[in-house]
Amino acid sequence: MAYYLGLVQLIGIHTLLGLSAYILMLTGQLSLGQAGFFAIGAYSAGILTVIFQLPILPALFVGALIAAFFAFLVGFPALRVKGLMLVVATIAFSEFVRLFFFNLSWRVPRGDISVGPDSTNGFREIRYFVANGWSAWEITAFVWVFVILVMALLWWADRSRTGAVLRAVGEDELAAQSVGINLTAVKVAAMTAGGFIAGIGGGLYAHTATYVDHLTFTVLLATFAIAYPILGGLSSVFGTLLAVIFIQGVLVEGLRFLGDWRNIVFGLMIIAAMNLKPSGLFDAPTARILKRAIGLDGRGQNGA
Amino acid sequence: MIDFVQNTVDGIMFGSSYALLAVGFTIIFGVMRRLNLAYGATIMLGAYAGTWLHVHYQVHVLIVALVILASTVLTGIYVERLCFRAIRRDAALASMVSSFVIWMQLEEVAIHILPERTYSFPSLFAAEPIELGAFLIRPEHVTMLVLAVVMMGALHLFVHHTRHGLALRAMSENPRAASYMGVNTGWIMLLSFALVSLVGGVAGCAILATNEQITPYFGLWATFKGLIAMMLGGMGSLPGAILGGLLLGVAEAHSQWYLGNAYKDLSAYILLFAILVLRPGGLMGRRILSREEFASRRV
Repeated sequence: MAYYLGLVQLIGIHTLLGLSAYILMLTGQLSLGQAGFFAIGAYSAGILTVIFQLPILPALFVGALIAAFFAFLVGFPALRVKGLMLVVATIAFSEFVRLFFFNLSWRVPRGDISVGPDSTNGFREIRYFVANGWSAWEITAFVWVFVILVMALLWWADRSRTGAVLRAVGEDELAAQSVGINLTAVKVAAMTAGGFIAGIGGGLYAHTATYVDHLTFTVLLATFAIAYPILGGLSSVFGTLLAVIFIQGVLVEGLRFLGDWRNIVFGLMIIAAMNLKPSGLFDAPTARILKRAIGLDGRGQNGA
Repeated sequence: MIDFVQNTVDGIMFGSSYALLAVGFTIIFGVMRRLNLAYGATIMLGAYAGTWLHVHYQVHVLIVALVILASTVLTGIYVERLCFRAIRRDAALASMVSSFVIWMQLEEVAIHILPERTYSFPSLFAAEPIELGAFLIRPEHVTMLVLAVVMMGALHLFVHHTRHGLALRAMSENPRAASYMGVNTGWIMLLSFALVSLVGGVAGCAILATNEQITPYFGLWATFKGLIAMMLGGMGSLPGAILGGLLLGVAEAHSQWYLGNAYKDLSAYILLFAILVLRPGGLMGRRILSREEFASRRV
């Protein structure tokens, strides 16, 4: 049972990671820096609960704020580059963050042992949940409260003027600018919001895993972050959730019986999905069919 | 002063291999407007095939090099068929993600071939370091530089003085117009993939012979160095790739000497970020930026 709960927690955390890339992709920005923000959130929240002994909620919040602050800083210079240039610039950022934590050593004595990030050996003592006697069920519920909150917020934002503004910038920058949208503000805001969401995800990850090191936050994680919205499609936040369940639940866990050959099959299946549906598994036509099937959308109406 | 010159020379020599890696990325970007993240892994799988032969049969180092070139080209063609040919033209992102999962796949295969963490790689020949006055020059570095210069010369001849090179340039200028003019775009894409894999194979041989060992991190390392060098020079520009590679090599050599090993990679990322902010098109001019505009519209 603990194994399945762990998987459910992981799916929740990766959904947050995917959503942080989703909000950026709405504005047409593709960032491989999400792993960097995730790492900043994870280390900050971990340091706050372990070294400063804060409770989990303020630690998560402050960690996410720090991640958002760095996203804000990255947002400005990154605005000058677009498309694939932005992808590589943000890879550089997230590798930079990884190398920073690779070199970071901040040990403080606690009782007869010392705790804190220990450069190459990683950060091992993030035991807030264990120390406070949380059960696996409680941890899972705690993670999913954040997932549902963020999803609800994004879903609501998507249907309000905010979503229209974000999508307008993503569709056509020139047109968006000519109807009075401030491109800089929208893009930096999306970057900051993405950093905040990734920061929460990182903080939750650090506490559920109890151990993080720099190898957790490689370009692999960053690519997963953008693969979820790409695979899920940009028509709704549920696409991202679906893609996370598909990749983490079905492909990564479901193919475990293949042992060492898993990555090879995994790669082929993702490529098959990309070939069959280049704009995402959960794209507009699929969404319409699903809506019709569960009776949300009448036949006479013009769906989206 | 001697340190400074020595570092610069070392940097230029090692940087020449970065330039070769960057050329691989830049040609693919120029022809397809897509990023091939699997490039480093392609070279790594080729190198693993060669090393496997070396470990099990102790064949001559030249045969190892030939096997590396052949298997790199084959892997490159495999990547092209699966991630670039098969995926629709307007889905550049899908290609990038696919090339990334192919990377994982190739790495997995490489680890199956040789499961240990580190293998020794044969050096091309045994030679003592050359002393030139106060300076010390490693013969491996000289080989690397010579190989890079030869490859660059051959590439220049190919791109500017053959029919296929003309088709390749036409495609990177405007793919649709090129196909209207009778360029077989599919064939040119395949050809350019085979070509960059060959260049990558040569770069891989030179780098591994200098390091004298191969680890599973080689794919990641080659991808990052090539990407950074390409971005420094400007995407899609051949002279830019050479300049970016040399600049990266020199910057790394100096920061390693003056700041220490931990700062070698950090300084490369800081340099990249600074150049992207100050000159978003990379060092080689504005022309690329307008092409970039064109490319980003497709992303």
